[in-house]
Amino acid sequence: MSVLELKSIIKNYPDGQLVNEVLKDISFTVEKGEFAAIVGPSGAGKSTLLTIMGALLTPSSGSVLLNGHDISHLSKKQQTELRLNEIGFIFQNSDLIPYLKISDQLKFIQKISKKETGNAEEVLTKLGLQNRLHSYPNVLSGGEKQRVAIARAFINQPDLILADEPTASLDSKRGREVVQIIQQTVHQEDKAAVMVTHDERVLDLVDSIWQIEDGRLKKVR
Amino acid sequence: MFLTLKELRHEKLKFGALGLIIFLIVFLVLFITGLANGLANDSGSALKNTSAQTFILQKGSEKRLNRSQLTDADWNKVNHRNAAKLSVAQMTIQKSNKASKKTDIAYFVTDANSFLNPKTINGQKLKNNDNNSVVVSSKLKTDGYKIGDTFKDSTSKKVFKIAGFTDNTAYSHTPVIYLNFKQYQHIAPQNNNFNAIVLQSQLKQKTGYQVVDKQSLIGAIPGYSAEQGSLYLMIGFLYLISLFVLAVFFYIINLQKLSDFGTLKALGTSTPYLVRHVITEMGLLSLISILLSFAITYLIKLVLPASMPFSLSSGVLLGTGGLFILITLLSALLSLIKVIKIDPITAIGGNN
Repeated sequence: MSVLELKSIIKNYPDGQLVNEVLKDISFTVEKGEFAAIVGPSGAGKSTLLTIMGALLTPSSGSVLLNGHDISHLSKKQQTELRLNEIGFIFQNSDLIPYLKISDQLKFIQKISKKETGNAEEVLTKLGLQNRLHSYPNVLSGGEKQRVAIARAFINQPDLILADEPTASLDSKRGREVVQIIQQTVHQEDKAAVMVTHDERVLDLVDSIWQIEDGRLKKVR
Repeated sequence: MFLTLKELRHEKLKFGALGLIIFLIVFLVLFITGLANGLANDSGSALKNTSAQTFILQKGSEKRLNRSQLTDADWNKVNHRNAAKLSVAQMTIQKSNKASKKTDIAYFVTDANSFLNPKTINGQKLKNNDNNSVVVSSKLKTDGYKIGDTFKDSTSKKVFKIAGFTDNTAYSHTPVIYLNFKQYQHIAPQNNNFNAIVLQSQLKQKTGYQVVDKQSLIGAIPGYSAEQGSLYLMIGFLYLISLFVLAVFFYIINLQKLSDFGTLKALGTSTPYLVRHVITEMGLLSLISILLSFAITYLIKLVLPASMPFSLSSGVLLGTGGLFILITLLSALLSLIKVIKIDPITAIGGNN
């Protein structure tokens, strides 16, 4: 069963007098328990595609189906609620909130979603962060920060995980570890995950690979 | 609240500095307000604390008691119920046995049976049939005067005995001594006039006289308007300055956190939640600073010397506090617009 399905997505931006078509008729699907990667050069539209999948941006035309519901024309408020409850984000620079302790990063999400989901400390312990529970993000290494971000993305039991170049600020060893953690968690918890990356070295860890170039997406594997 | 408390706890230095600024401004405003009120009391409390409503003066006296001369003929002409004659004379007294110790005072001469005869806080009230015993303002206590002490009028050399003290009354920054008309005859024997007919009721006008209400009479006391005007101008500017200073500080602090707000929104935090967060943060910070400045103002008031007039009622205190909460929230407005406008999309693509 597909968790996320994109049907003929087009995204235009006005570019002076012209119209710049960033995404040209894109169709995409990811199943439960599947870890998909989207690769492509800078400026190919990877980030735009991810923001449409994540209900951060509305496509110019086409539909986005999350668990069979069209989410492409929701209001801002509905989008926010959807992101909170059904999508987990992992950002490029982990983007932890600087004034929250590691355990509070997760507890905050649990608090605003009002969902009784899992034990934040347990999840962090499983990712090897038991000694960092009461630290602030500024004392963590890049790899540790990204592991916290992964835990934060999963804590709310979302159906879809979106990762925006999670290895970009890490060396190859740490980067690989982080992707491995995402892969394991996706498989263990039977989630669907989409990772945007241009790090070719981690592609052996994903289940399917899509290539985007000049706004067109095609499945490679 | 969750985010707010965590952030305040983590960013102690930043918010401490901001709190310090709010505290200093509020404290300065309270201090100047207290001083303005204190000076106002020092200028006109002898008139303000009476139940008098209306003052009938000689025509053309420009609301000034000392420029008005009325006679018994005027008194009969006005012929108003609940009226009292009042004479004010600014003189100097000295201790009977020590000519070098002089004090400037204001004599308030009135009928002891009228409503202008002040209540005493200790000792006896002023009586009409007593040639010698007078009631004086408790401000004279700081010059060492006690009940039973005598003092000498420096011009006429007439000696009076202090029978009682009334409240802290003052007129034009000098303590007030209350006399009856018989006693005043010893000081100014040739003067049968008085300055004003004072009514307890409202009166708009009276042909042939100048009719003044209490507040404008106090406002016309020499120096009163100049003092109050300049102090209130300062207070006004302090409010204005604090509005802008706080707005700029809040704006900069929130500008630094804009990418965090973007991330929070991307993670699914609603905009109303973030708005509440910013408002609670600023509200809490200013509330703590304001309460602190209340405490410090109170402590300062305790140690201020009596020669420095300072008066701050709880009403003025709470009013100032309320106004400042309003100002902080108003100055957070600019930051709130930024927070509302930040697009969660900024979290994607590594723009942070």
